[in-house]
Amino acid sequence: MLEDRWLIWKFKRGNRDAFRAIYDKYAEDLLTLAGNLLNDKAGAEDIVQDVFIRFVESIETFRLTGSLKGYLATCVANRSRDQIRRNMRQRTALANQAGCVATATKSTVHLAIRSELMQKVSHALTELPYEQREVIVLRLHGDLRFRHIAKLQKTSIKTVQSRYRYGLDKLRSTLNGEVKK
Amino acid sequence: MRPADSIEKLIKGLRYTTSDETHDRVFSNVMQALDQKQEHTSGVTTPALWRTIMSNKMRKFAVAAAIIVAVLIGFHPFSGSSSTVYADVVRQLQKARTLIYTVTTNTAIEGMPEMEMEIAFKEPGYMRMTMPGGYVSVLDCVQGKGLSTIPERKQFIEIDMSNLPDDAGQKQTEAIEKLRTLPERADEDLGEQTMDGRTIHGYRVNEDSMTHTVWIDPKTRELIRVEMEFDNAPGMNATATDFQFDVELDDSLFSLTPPDGYSRLDLQVDVSEAGEDNLIEYLRLWTGWTKDKTFPPTLNPVELAKVSMEMAKSGGFVPERPTKGANLKHVMKMTRGLIFVTHLPAESNWRYAGENVKFGDADTPIFWYLPQGSRTYRVIYGDLSVKDVAPEDLPD
Repeated sequence: MLEDRWLIWKFKRGNRDAFRAIYDKYAEDLLTLAGNLLNDKAGAEDIVQDVFIRFVESIETFRLTGSLKGYLATCVANRSRDQIRRNMRQRTALANQAGCVATATKSTVHLAIRSELMQKVSHALTELPYEQREVIVLRLHGDLRFRHIAKLQKTSIKTVQSRYRYGLDKLRSTLNGEVKK
Repeated sequence: MRPADSIEKLIKGLRYTTSDETHDRVFSNVMQALDQKQEHTSGVTTPALWRTIMSNKMRKFAVAAAIIVAVLIGFHPFSGSSSTVYADVVRQLQKARTLIYTVTTNTAIEGMPEMEMEIAFKEPGYMRMTMPGGYVSVLDCVQGKGLSTIPERKQFIEIDMSNLPDDAGQKQTEAIEKLRTLPERADEDLGEQTMDGRTIHGYRVNEDSMTHTVWIDPKTRELIRVEMEFDNAPGMNATATDFQFDVELDDSLFSLTPPDGYSRLDLQVDVSEAGEDNLIEYLRLWTGWTKDKTFPPTLNPVELAKVSMEMAKSGGFVPERPTKGANLKHVMKMTRGLIFVTHLPAESNWRYAGENVKFGDADTPIFWYLPQGSRTYRVIYGDLSVKDVAPEDLPD
C-alpha cells in the first residue's frame, strides 16, 4: 500500500519508471482478471490498456483511498461488463439483421494453461451466469472483498456471497460431470 | 465431489499471460496517451497555500527547512510558519479590537497528531500563538518584529520581518473585513444544523484554492466555527473555533522581550557563509531520510516544503526519523544548503538534476554551477564527489 502510494507520488512528479513499476506489478493480474471475465485474450489486453490509459490520464487528480490493485480491478470489472453488454447488443443486432439465430461462438481461450483439466475449469467458468462469474473472478483474482464487490454490483453482500457460493457449487457439479464422462 | 477450496485453487490457477512484446506495446501506447494528454496541459502553478506560507521573504528558507524537518520528525508541519498560515484566519475575522480563537489542524499524515493552537490578536497588528509544549510566537506587524520561544531549550528566536511589505499591518485589517463578508460571498447556503445543542447556519465559500465553511449562530449573529480545506493539500483541514471578541488583552502578552534565563538562537544565516559544502551536507542528509536513497526532487524551497509533506503522506521517508533534538541542526544545515543554491547568480548557470538519482551513483552529475571568476564548472555527482569540469564536458 505504502509502496503503491510512493510509486503514484513519484509518477505524479513525472517519473515514468514509477509507472512502469506499477504496470509490471499489476498488468498480468489485470489481464488474468479481464481474460477470465471476457474469455477473450485480445479483448482483455484492450481493456487492460484502456484502464491504464485512463489511470495515467487522470493521474494529476488521482487520489488513492484503498488499494491500488482493488481500484484497477474495479476499473477492469466495469469495463469488462460494458464490453460484454456491447458484444451482446452487437450480436443481437446482427441476428436481427440476418434474420437468423446467432450462435455464440466461443472464443479460443488463450490461457497459460496446458492441462485438459484447466481447460475444463476455464470452460465451466464461462458457462456461469455473468454475475456469478464476476464475483468469483473478482474475489479470487482481484482479491476484492465481498463488500467491495457488492458495491460494484450494486447489490447486498448477502446476494454477492450467494452468487459466489452458487457459482462454486455449479462449477463443482459441472466439473464432476465432466470427470465422469 | 471436488471440495470448494480445491475449486478455488483451480480457478486461481487460471492465469492469462502475454508476451513481453505485447506488454511493451501496451506500455508504449499508454505512455503515448499520456504524452498527448500532457501536450494539452498547462504548466504547474504554485499552490496558494504554499505561496502564503512563503510570503515572508526573510524567513522563507528557514521556514521551508523547518517544515521539511517538522514533517520528518512527525511534528506539526506549520509550527515554524504558523504566523502566515493562520494570519489568513485572523485576516478574515470580524473587525474587532481583540480576538481570541483556537485552530485545530489535521494534516491527514499518518502518525502526525492533530494540532491545536491558540491565537490571540490585538489591533493594530499584534499576534500571539501558543502551541502545545508551551511554544509561543509573538508577532508585532507594526514594528516588523517577532519572537518565538522554545521552553524545553530555554531559547528564543528573534524574527525580523523588515522585508515584509509596508502595508502588512493594513492588509491584516483588510483581511479581517474580508472574513466578515464571507457569508455574503458564499457560493452555497448549507442551511441550518444542530451542533452541540445549538442551531447554526452554514455558508460555503470557495476561493483562492481554499474552501471555507463558515458556521454562524443566526440568533446571536456570532461566528461559531470556520472550517478550512486546502485544494492543494488534500486531506488537510483546519477548524477555527472558540471565538472571543474584544476581550481585554494586556500588552505584555505581545511583548517582544524574551523571558529571563532564555538564550538567543540565531536562525539568520549569513549568505556569504553558505557554500558548496553546505549543499553537499544537505543532500547527504536528505538521502538518509528517503526510503530509496534518492536526492530531493527539487531545490526550490517552496516546492520542497510541499514535496516533503507529500512524501511523508506517500511513505517516501524512512521510519527512523531525526529526533526533535536534531531538529534545529537539520534546519540550519538545510537552510544553508538551500541558501547557497538560491543565492547563486544567474551567470553561474546552475542546474539541478538530482531527482530520481540514488546516492552513490558516481557517474551521474546531480548539480553543477560556474563559480564566480572560474572557467570550469563545479559538478557534484551522485556519490557527492565534486569535480571541476570544462563547459564543453557538461551534461546536456
